[in-house]
Amino acid sequence: MPSYIASLFSFYWVPSISTTLVYMLQATEYQPGPFIRWFWRTNDFSAVMQRRQLDPTKAARFIRLFTLLGMLAQLAIGGLLMYAGLVEYMTSGIFFGLAVLLLYPILWAHLLALLIWGGHLTVLRSRERNQAAEATALFAAHAGLKVAIVGSYGKTSMKELLLTVLDEAKTVAATPANMNVLSSHVAFARKLTGAEDIVLVEFGEGKPGDVARFSSVVQPTYAVITGLAPAHLDQYRTLKAAGRDIFSVADTVEADRVYVNADSAAVRDFLRPDFRIYSRSTVLGWRIVDAATSLSGTTFVLVKGKKRLSLRSHLIGLHQVGPLAFAAAFALFLGVPEKKVQAGVAKTKPYEHRMQPYQLGGAWVIDDTYNGNLEGIKAGTELLGSLKAKRKIYVTPGLVDQGKETAAIHKQVGHYIAAAEPNMVVLMQNSACQHIQDGLREARYKGTVRIEKNPILFYQNLQSFVAKGDVVLMQNDWTDNYS
Amino acid sequence: MLTIAVFFGGQSAEHDVSIITALTSVIMPLELTNKYRVIPVYIAKDGRWFVSEDLKNIAVYQHGELKRLVSRMKTTGVICANGLKLLVPSRVGRKAISVDIAFPAMHGTHGEDGELTGIFEMAGVPYVGCGVAASAIAMDKMLAKQVVTAAGLATPRALYFDGESVRSNSAVLAKQCQQLTYPLFVKPAHLGSSIGISRVADKKELVNALEVAAHYDDKIVVEEAVPNLIEVTLPIMGPSSAPQPALLEQPLTHAEDFFDFDTKYMHGGKKGKGGGKKMGIKGAQGYSKIPANLSKELYSKAEAAGVAAYKALGCDGIARIDMLIDSKAKKVYFNEANPLPGSLYAHNWAQVGVSKIDLVEALVGYALDRHYKRSKLATTFDTNFLTQF
Repeated sequence: MPSYIASLFSFYWVPSISTTLVYMLQATEYQPGPFIRWFWRTNDFSAVMQRRQLDPTKAARFIRLFTLLGMLAQLAIGGLLMYAGLVEYMTSGIFFGLAVLLLYPILWAHLLALLIWGGHLTVLRSRERNQAAEATALFAAHAGLKVAIVGSYGKTSMKELLLTVLDEAKTVAATPANMNVLSSHVAFARKLTGAEDIVLVEFGEGKPGDVARFSSVVQPTYAVITGLAPAHLDQYRTLKAAGRDIFSVADTVEADRVYVNADSAAVRDFLRPDFRIYSRSTVLGWRIVDAATSLSGTTFVLVKGKKRLSLRSHLIGLHQVGPLAFAAAFALFLGVPEKKVQAGVAKTKPYEHRMQPYQLGGAWVIDDTYNGNLEGIKAGTELLGSLKAKRKIYVTPGLVDQGKETAAIHKQVGHYIAAAEPNMVVLMQNSACQHIQDGLREARYKGTVRIEKNPILFYQNLQSFVAKGDVVLMQNDWTDNYS
Repeated sequence: MLTIAVFFGGQSAEHDVSIITALTSVIMPLELTNKYRVIPVYIAKDGRWFVSEDLKNIAVYQHGELKRLVSRMKTTGVICANGLKLLVPSRVGRKAISVDIAFPAMHGTHGEDGELTGIFEMAGVPYVGCGVAASAIAMDKMLAKQVVTAAGLATPRALYFDGESVRSNSAVLAKQCQQLTYPLFVKPAHLGSSIGISRVADKKELVNALEVAAHYDDKIVVEEAVPNLIEVTLPIMGPSSAPQPALLEQPLTHAEDFFDFDTKYMHGGKKGKGGGKKMGIKGAQGYSKIPANLSKELYSKAEAAGVAAYKALGCDGIARIDMLIDSKAKKVYFNEANPLPGSLYAHNWAQVGVSKIDLVEALVGYALDRHYKRSKLATTFDTNFLTQF
């Protein structure tokens, strides 16, 4: 049987199609739209669960059992109808029964989407309202300074930087990992003791209105806007709409307590005169000089009048200078002693999958697979271009959720890569691949372009490609729902 | 797309090591190039040949799956006419797969000693690695010592005996060894991976060691141990005329130990606890120091000796030369040559900027070059001998 026909009907011979469907639901965060789009985009259901497996939560187990029983019931009804058609000479019974038998995966995918949509309308919205009310009360009752961290990128990194530096002299609590939605905010608020001096809350942005909603819940004292770049454009549609949502945090925070990363070019349209900006060159009245970076870390000096404060971090890349300097300056502003600030900055190190360097078979690999935006690509490729290596390899599958801007943004990605002049560019065979290649061609890239059909096989065997003297930069990774 | 057949497994004590070499250092890198169709040819311990895509999966060999797989597979045959063809079982009879390049990944007896290479020579197919003669010489430790000695290189003083004599009268032979200075090493002449090797301090231990070695081989070598020992090994690739050395590597063993099979493959290169994880680079045979901790002068001397031995033995494609250094006398001795280093010594090549993929591509390139040059040579010529008979 030709492989494309086999793929078309692959859901019939996937050992557990019910598990696969629930996995797809889980991976799309129980959003009916993305789930159905993924269902119809999938050619081979046996290859859906590549990177992860179903997390057997209570809800997932219940939905899986419900789906399985429903499918079995449908198969039984289809069989009975066919039997009736044969015994009773009911021609329509045979065809109808066959249709019922064959349509069970399609029918149940759509039934699940419908049920989830109904659930969102009723149960989940009501639960969210309750969560919002509870979190609002908890945050309002907390006496500590509340710092909101908002932006298209760099939120988790900024939160971790502030936590590491402020923790040297203050009692600080921060939302864990990249948990940045309402349900994680309420869970975080419940755990606060009330004794914290500073509470750091990361605001996720997935669709219009998210940041405004989180702001009204947390009522932050300060806001840090880490940058604006094309992300989640499938929901926001335009960068301007994303910017409006991100900057809506300023509606609940006094303007001179809003700190904005001016290294992000796209924020300029949203700046207000009273906002305070930070960048690679200046931060809260300090000048930043002598910035340098290598695979072992980044150094710079804060200068104010005759005062100089030398800082050293294990983070890599000059794009880290602005956020690091902000964390240091903000800590000084809040009364953390200089020595403690230096010690805190010295403790900052690359977070997992975010510009994280490690050695592999004598080569240096920079793992930036958690990155997912154009600004991150720019920062990474600038770093790659600045490093000395016998051979440079750049690896990316491209960016997700770029909406109508997909082609233009990936061409720009191609330009950034070409500017770094890697010896080899490894792209993944997907919808972004051709656009990046177009960008590389426009920028007259002269190195080797390798297209990988199986990204996981490539990542697993990276060691076979590299040797001492090589530097490999891996940016972004597409989860199963984007493959 | 060129078809490369990778031969591994085999009827030797190094059957399992060969599987690792083939799967991790040959088949996977070749496939990752996206340039070749790679056919795994697994030779079982009973000598049967099998071809199946399933044989590329390491899990098949780890959990008893191999036995089940092999029991339901038909064996593969071979035709050596106008190239090499594998006769692979198909749904209807057998289908012939033409092999463009043979890549032997079979260590030890029947593989590394030139026997397998002989089939490729007869078939006229390009193949990776040393030729028949170099393989056969390298795999006879005594013969290799004699060849490199003739080329002016130093080797430890040694005697050799045939297995039959050892089995019938080991005590008398041990007496003959009095002309050598203890401690001595007793080695089966043809086995790799340090199998059957003993280090002896007196005549009584020597008798036992000879009997142990005779259990494995029909030719036994007895040689003097090198004092103040630094053991080093040098992977080399390229044609005999232009060898390219990698880095001298120093196994992380105690001077009084030697690199036996257990140390190499079972204990991660370090006897006792710990495994030496933080002390060096982990390679095919455990942890080692790369480059070896030698003075510049001694490093150059050892590297030159390794390259000279590679040339003297007529190695081609890839090999590894083991050397023994008397650190006080600053003297380098040839120890032995290995025409198919375990896992191709990819860990060492990586340290000189050659990735696993670069390595297999280079080896395939050397094989094609050699084949092209040889195809220019006349191998037959017409005579009237038969008409005159």
